Amino acid sequence: MSLLPLPSAAQAPGSYRFRSSLGQHLLVVQHSQIYDLPEQETDADISLDHTLSQMLARTLDNEVSLDALSLPTVQSLSLNVSSSCNLGCSYCYASQGNFEGKQSKGMDWEQARSSIDRLLATANPQAPLTLGFIGGEPFVNRALIHQCVHYSAQLAQQRQLDLRYSVTTNGTLLRPEDHELLRQHRFAVTVSIDGGSVVQNRQRPMLNGKRDSFAAVIEHCQPLLDQPGKCKLAARATANSLSLDLTQQFDAIAALGFQDIGFSPLRSGSALALQKHDWPVYEQAMISLASRELQSALQGQQIRLSNFATALKQLHVGASSPYPCGAGGGYFSVASDGDWYACHRAIGNHDYRLGDRHSLDAPKRLQFLQERHVHAQTDCHTCWARYLCSGGCHQEKASRSQASCDYIRHWLTFCLQSYCELSQARPDYFTHCLPTSRASTTA
Amino acid sequence: MSLPDIIKLVPRNAAALRRAQTADSAIRPVAGNPVSTRLESGVGNCYPGLEADLRNLERRFFPFLEVDIADTEIRIVAVDSAGVTAAALPDADAQKYRDLALGISQNLPCIISRINGNFGPFGNHDLNIAQLSPPGAASTSTNASTAPPDAWTAIRLLPENTAISLTIRLGTRSISLEGRRSAYLSGTGSLAAMFEPGELTQSLCSPWTHDFRDCGCFYWASNHPDIAQPPTPDASEPGVPWLAAVPWERLDRSIGSTPPSPANTTTPEELGHYAINHQWQSLNFVLEGRETIRPYKPGKFTALPLASREELQLYLRYAAGLELAAIQEYLSAAYSLRSPASLPAGSLRNRVTASFAELMRIAYGEMRHLRAVNNVLQALNGPAYTPALQVAKTIPDAAGNQRPPRARILDPQALLDFLALEQANRGADELYARIYATLRQPGFGSDADCQSIRYIMAEGQDHFETFENMQVWLQGFQPSQYLHQNLVQAPASNSSYQALQNAYRKLLEKLYAGYQAGMPQGAVDINTARGDMVAANGFGSAARAVINAGFLLSFDTISDPRFAPVAPPPGL
Repeated sequence: MSLLPLPSAAQAPGSYRFRSSLGQHLLVVQHSQIYDLPEQETDADISLDHTLSQMLARTLDNEVSLDALSLPTVQSLSLNVSSSCNLGCSYCYASQGNFEGKQSKGMDWEQARSSIDRLLATANPQAPLTLGFIGGEPFVNRALIHQCVHYSAQLAQQRQLDLRYSVTTNGTLLRPEDHELLRQHRFAVTVSIDGGSVVQNRQRPMLNGKRDSFAAVIEHCQPLLDQPGKCKLAARATANSLSLDLTQQFDAIAALGFQDIGFSPLRSGSALALQKHDWPVYEQAMISLASRELQSALQGQQIRLSNFATALKQLHVGASSPYPCGAGGGYFSVASDGDWYACHRAIGNHDYRLGDRHSLDAPKRLQFLQERHVHAQTDCHTCWARYLCSGGCHQEKASRSQASCDYIRHWLTFCLQSYCELSQARPDYFTHCLPTSRASTTA
Repeated sequence: MSLPDIIKLVPRNAAALRRAQTADSAIRPVAGNPVSTRLESGVGNCYPGLEADLRNLERRFFPFLEVDIADTEIRIVAVDSAGVTAAALPDADAQKYRDLALGISQNLPCIISRINGNFGPFGNHDLNIAQLSPPGAASTSTNASTAPPDAWTAIRLLPENTAISLTIRLGTRSISLEGRRSAYLSGTGSLAAMFEPGELTQSLCSPWTHDFRDCGCFYWASNHPDIAQPPTPDASEPGVPWLAAVPWERLDRSIGSTPPSPANTTTPEELGHYAINHQWQSLNFVLEGRETIRPYKPGKFTALPLASREELQLYLRYAAGLELAAIQEYLSAAYSLRSPASLPAGSLRNRVTASFAELMRIAYGEMRHLRAVNNVLQALNGPAYTPALQVAKTIPDAAGNQRPPRARILDPQALLDFLALEQANRGADELYARIYATLRQPGFGSDADCQSIRYIMAEGQDHFETFENMQVWLQGFQPSQYLHQNLVQAPASNSSYQALQNAYRKLLEKLYAGYQAGMPQGAVDINTARGDMVAANGFGSAARAVINAGFLLSFDTISDPRFAPVAPPPGL
């Protein structure tokens, strides 16, 4: 087993020059440092930028090396509590929770309890812990969620652990007792909703066909939107090739009361996945929507588009990571049979199965992290955006294309420009940004 | 590639700011020596040198070797064995270095007998070192058919990083080594790490202080002054007579209630050659021109930024007016001095000559300040810029109050007023300090704007010290001895007075046009104005004519709104 560092490629660009309305800027790729450059009449001086980025690339004592390989403690765990769902979304990666038959039954209490015990016993007690619930639709197995939360909250209180919760739900099965559970505990609730009634009912139909899912979301989520308590509600919309009017979808979701709305483009696994010609359209729609949010932020409002708000905050703190997520590092997902997978989207995939409730397979885990480090991605390791995008979702690696990567680079350039303008006009916007870079979850 | 002299990066996000805030890279003002005391400003030559013996830079011309260089011999005196190990050289090469190190430890002679390489203007040679000559004994023509004259020159001419090969005689063995000529500097621009502390000064003449004892002013860098203001018996703010410079190496090291004899009277007794070697540590640190024997507390910059861009504009326009008012008063005072030629040769004539020259130098300095303030205004306003050439209605006095500018003679009161005008943290400097504090804020001014204002503030300090010197030069003489007598305000109808006003008005017009046009379009007008000031029949001759007619040099208030007096900003 080797923990040798994975150095970046010699030809990897160390900097990226961009312009905002303030003038010229330089992004030093290592640790995502942003500098204002003096105005010059000449074009970017490549050799000068190279020299500057070399000088500034040093990793400070309080920063995590981007070349380092490590096996961090597991701080976040998601439990696949349900293998079924009451909706029939055509593009569901989990086949409504049974993962194409690889997870045919829901999780039982014993599996859940032993996983919780292991998380609380092995995590770094000084750092936050997260217990997540996922499916299928998690609230199909509501009793188990309640049981897990009560059990883990009691243990965390005894051991003085900072335990938080998360759940991804379609929002159509929430009951008053669920609302109360989410309010009482620090839940990050992500509701999957794609837009207004037309888009939502087309893309996320009910399995029984009896009523529209949009109405069900409103009915079951409204009490929580009105009185969230300690929980934080966010909406997550999937954009496909038929639903690229993002502003309309955004406004429809915002009208329900959601203040935190994000989009995910459908990249694979469906005839509706974005094609080459769709990416420029999606890019334009995202930038148009984000521009509107930026203008309202300049007027003193909060940004509701979570893709944008998160990017700005991460740029502010200098988030910089060789991994797009904590998969296999600080994060694992437990299948209903108790096996530990690096990612909740890969239940049943042998390559992602890195252990069980008894132990993790360290050599296999290391190999998993080595192979997925952005320096090991042939089409990423020489991209200037490599520590901001980090190669994107491991599950969608095969769907990476020139068009989708161009979208990411253009979007990040827009975010960089916006960060410079917003930080100049409203430095107070970033006053309360906590340094929660993705690096801290993967290192 | 070569980096430009200055590239200013402004950190914007937290990750960039972190790099500016770490202990080893924080950029902050610290009290320290001026740039003129750094090694690169030192008086260094090769015979053997004063600050450093630059010959020592060639002692490590070949990787991992340290050599002594004579005219016709290069002797290896040490091998950096740790460096050889760290470099993971091929075994055969590493073994050669080990053999050299072993030989040196056994006191075997270890001589570089031949160097094969490119010797710059002399071209490629395979030099037999023993056949070279002492400096001066050989031809100094440089072409490919001649060899470098001596061993040190030969090494000095080897371009950095070029391939060279050495033939080394170790006892009876011959060893050949190939490598690249070492670079003097590290990648960060500092002296390469291979040089050890003390290495550049190790061969200065010993005791080198003999040299120093006999050197005159202006030869040494400012870390070895000949003269400085003396240490004061207590921490109170010194005035006359403690302003006069005294010999830094004076024999009498006591500190009493009266200052040591000034350096410019009869030469006081200084430490002798041997005494200075024994008592070197008794020489005092000199900070800001004065010997300092107490803990030094640097001043802090505490000026408050102005509230708005509008207020900044008001301050800048008044600052320009202040410069114009100062120019008028300084010129008036300068021309009130009697012509040196009319004075008997000797001390007073010299002092008057110096006072006039320095007053004119300061007046020119204020003209540069006027230009600098206008540059900042131009940068702030862009196309909406209009030149600031209105004289100040009132200017600060010694008590911190405002007074109208006036024509005057260079009597002791005038010098006090001039000191007040230039004094740090009072009047003018408070004005500039607030302007500077404002421009430093993000979005207000560029780095160039900030530097312009800092330059004005720094020159103000120089002007202040010059006026202090002038007080010292002229004390002990009666104003009647060095000033034109009975100068009065000229009647408006006087022709020489009118000619002066016209010349002055023409200068302002030219400057206005030049500033308004900006550079390079305005260059002709600005240069014309500058030329008129110093031309034989220009402003100077008009000023002399007024004085010779028995009148004070004074300037009319101009009603043209472009040049009409400007009031100080509210609250200043």
